[in-house]
Amino acid sequence: MKAFKYNILSIASMLLPLLCLYSCIVVEDEPFDNSNKGNFEALWKIMDEHYCFFDYKKQELGVDWNEVHVRYAAQVNEDMKREQLFEVLCNMLAELKDGHVNLSAAFDYGRNWSFFEEYPQNYNDSIVQLYLGRDYRIASGLKYKLLEDNIGYVRCETFVDGVGDGNVSFMLDYLASCSGLIIDVRGNSGGEITRAHTLASHFTNEKVLIGYYSHKTGKGHKDFSKPVAEYLEPATDGYRWQKPVIVLTNRECYSACNDFVKCMKQCPDVTILGDHTGGGSGMPFNSEIPNGWGVRYSAVVFYDAEMNQTEFGIDPDIFVQMSGTDTEQNLDTYIETARKMMASE
Amino acid sequence: MIIQNMLRLFTFHISLLTFVFCAFSQGNESGDDFIPVNKEVKHSTVFGVMGMNEVYDSYISPYAFNDGVDFRVQRETARMTKLWGGRVSNQSFIDVNVSSDLMTEGGPEWYTAGLRYGQGWLYNFHDCNVVNPAEHSARKWNYAAGLQASGYLGGVYYDRSGNNPGQIKFDVTVNATGILAYTIHRRKHRPIVLSYQLTFPLMGIAFSPNYGQSYYEIFELDNNDHNAVFVNTFNMPSNRHRFLVDIPIRRGELRLGYDVQINQAKINNLEYYNHSIDFVIGFTKYFTRR
Repeated sequence: MKAFKYNILSIASMLLPLLCLYSCIVVEDEPFDNSNKGNFEALWKIMDEHYCFFDYKKQELGVDWNEVHVRYAAQVNEDMKREQLFEVLCNMLAELKDGHVNLSAAFDYGRNWSFFEEYPQNYNDSIVQLYLGRDYRIASGLKYKLLEDNIGYVRCETFVDGVGDGNVSFMLDYLASCSGLIIDVRGNSGGEITRAHTLASHFTNEKVLIGYYSHKTGKGHKDFSKPVAEYLEPATDGYRWQKPVIVLTNRECYSACNDFVKCMKQCPDVTILGDHTGGGSGMPFNSEIPNGWGVRYSAVVFYDAEMNQTEFGIDPDIFVQMSGTDTEQNLDTYIETARKMMASE
Repeated sequence: MIIQNMLRLFTFHISLLTFVFCAFSQGNESGDDFIPVNKEVKHSTVFGVMGMNEVYDSYISPYAFNDGVDFRVQRETARMTKLWGGRVSNQSFIDVNVSSDLMTEGGPEWYTAGLRYGQGWLYNFHDCNVVNPAEHSARKWNYAAGLQASGYLGGVYYDRSGNNPGQIKFDVTVNATGILAYTIHRRKHRPIVLSYQLTFPLMGIAFSPNYGQSYYEIFELDNNDHNAVFVNTFNMPSNRHRFLVDIPIRRGELRLGYDVQINQAKINNLEYYNHSIDFVIGFTKYFTRR
């Protein structure tokens, strides 16, 4: 009888921890329903807990995310059609003026591209094609050509293509006899940050500090990790450029391209020429709301080497605007200015 | 919340202590009992089919994905050892799992895959034998409890572009585990054995990115920020249950049952769970070690 009691007690005490474990089961936060209100609240909360620029946007644009909630919640009701809800949600996100903040549905892509849409384009593809002609080379998306005055011209339209050390080295080898290099990144709206760094690493012989970064550590607007220094290492595979470089920028230089300009600013003998870049220094993450619409938002902050925000772009060393007279003569003011600078050097 | 957690901790420890006390005090009473070292090794392989799965990872999405399928293969080896007068049994296992889930019909898919390897040592109380209770124990109820070391490597991937499309899951833990077996004797036939095993982590180390940290930062920029996290029963309240029936067929046994896994963690302000239930079917065979 005693043994039986012990057995029962043993088994019961073995099962008791199980009850404790069930009591601390992990559950997701209370999910919002797939109603207009539910989708609005879900989107506001995702941004509230994960977006990384609230403090900066409050300082620069006066955006108070709680006030935004009050203002836009009043515009949402259950009688709204799908497109109307989409418009209200996109308007709410547009308050942040962030090109990395998007709402994507099957019928539309919500965005705020004011970083370039409100400014002169300072780029004419037809004219640039005249400079490239038909005999230019292409190395994994990098178009390059030797201009008549012995200056190398590189057109880098995107960092989506897989630029590797080999591609860059073949290009630099071909342009080795040039007296200088023009890298034209106008209209480059980004891609992979590693590809931007791969290209930049061929323009420094030493490890250089390019900035700092900090990620969110919790749901609060001020929950950030201690900023960590970020360095650009010189390329170890292939060639490194040792002559003057001029990087041409406009307002469409965004995201990974903005980071490329940030890196090149720290490299020796490099001049940034053109217009202010578009910015987009946050690394975007993705999420979704109950109706399946995708949400993209900036999640990690990247600063420049002086711990300044580059979310709203980087100033060039030399400001240049496209001249109407040049355009009429099929000349690109940026390229011509860069060529004159190279010639004078 | 703090009081609730303290109460849980208190109840948990008291129950563990009660268990150990009861088991050992009874064990001392019949301390002369001796189980001969068994050279018999049990091998079993089961396949989890018709499984159901639900995954949630707040790093990737605020929603649980549960409209999915689950497939599992488990290979287990168990034997009695010479330890503690032959009362300790050893259990090793490999558990491979693959699943896919949806949040909404036609929406992006969520894939989970992983492999867990474990080695456990269980104390067989009194004159129990949980390895082969039908042959080597006179008791109807056999039970054993002990510790298990296990490691898991896997990941979840969400079919969506971006900088947070997936998660690597890695942990090394020391677990508590217990087996309860009940033997149903039959006339003219070998007995059927019903068994239940519970396993839950006590402590260990798990990998996790920080709340808003990207994998680019961890692997490209080599920046670690609390990515190796100390885990215990409360921030990793996982528990795994196996309900099995071993039915003798010729020289082996048909094994049927349910494998229920509640894998979950709450670390770096990120929440994760992967709940699965699999109907398992396989076979068990005994071999003699030389």
